[in-house]
Amino acid sequence: MKKCLLLSFFVISAVLLNGCKEYDDKRVNLDTGVKSDTLANNALTRPVYGAFSLLIGEGIDLKDVKVFTNDAGFMEVQVTGYNRAVYTKRFDYKVEWLDKNGVVVDSKASTWRPVSAKSRNTFSFKTIAPSKDVVNFRMNTRKTPE
Amino acid sequence: MKKLAILFVIPLFMVGCEEVQKIDTTNDTGKQVMSLDYRDFDQAASQMIQSLLSSGTLAKKDGSRYVVATSKVTNDTMQRIDTDLLTAKIEQDLMKSGQVVMTSAVGGKESNRDDTVYNMRETRDSSKGEEFKQETLPQKGQIISPELSMSGKIYQRNLRYDKDKQQVEYYFQLKLSDVKTGLRFWQEEVLIGKRGSNKSVAW
Repeated sequence: MKKCLLLSFFVISAVLLNGCKEYDDKRVNLDTGVKSDTLANNALTRPVYGAFSLLIGEGIDLKDVKVFTNDAGFMEVQVTGYNRAVYTKRFDYKVEWLDKNGVVVDSKASTWRPVSAKSRNTFSFKTIAPSKDVVNFRMNTRKTPE
Repeated sequence: MKKLAILFVIPLFMVGCEEVQKIDTTNDTGKQVMSLDYRDFDQAASQMIQSLLSSGTLAKKDGSRYVVATSKVTNDTMQRIDTDLLTAKIEQDLMKSGQVVMTSAVGGKESNRDDTVYNMRETRDSSKGEEFKQETLPQKGQIISPELSMSGKIYQRNLRYDKDKQQVEYYFQLKLSDVKTGLRFWQEEVLIGKRGSNKSVAW
């Protein structure tokens, strides 16, 4: 009888847990405070994670760089990254556009431009070359000055 | 008497020695100010240029260039701003892109027009015109009319954030319209927001 009850408990638990299985789609990010807390991520553990993240200096990971030429013949660059830190990271980027000889193509648009990457979130930004002569680029980043 | 002289001379000497630094405009990490500074104009112009180039609006099918005039860009802020600080940067990059040629024959502002275009026509029709080699003078019907016109506005909004802080929002709005049909082909808004002490002045 006891065995039967125990087995029933496990079966019911399994059914219930299966019913609670989270639907997951990597394209949609549910932020902390929006989604339900878990054992590993709740009001008690979050400050510890935050302090640890700061301590080890978590930051931005580069995920992907897409380079393509648009219909008008201009090079476009899309950078995708992931902010591993538990805080929003603000940084600036600046692009130097290069022609076929590796010479910088001057542009008023080549200035420090701000990006804000939310914590534990994927982000992207896109930039376009100022001339059709551009065949390559160099991108620099810096922490946004206070 | 000597002491009095020293008291007057030393401060004058100190003022003369006050340090002046040239701004590193390429990598400026200086503090932000509540009013608009050159970095804000750089950022706004950069976003406008990027938006316009990536929109494909300026790509003519036959590969030729659009003739563009800069119309009125209104300064609707509490600051004294020459709107050329924004438009000159945009015009420069649009011309460099090879898709656009700007016109100095017409424009919403005196700085966008070149008086010589019309002065030479007046000269041609006056007695002074005879002094010029006739084939080098501009003839009638030669000025090219603009196909597109760029206009816009810079708008400022001041808000009270809390007891000690204020929020200032600057909206840069630009539009590109077809002169022949009046249709608008492109428009963009760039918002630059600043939050700071009530003591800071945003004009």
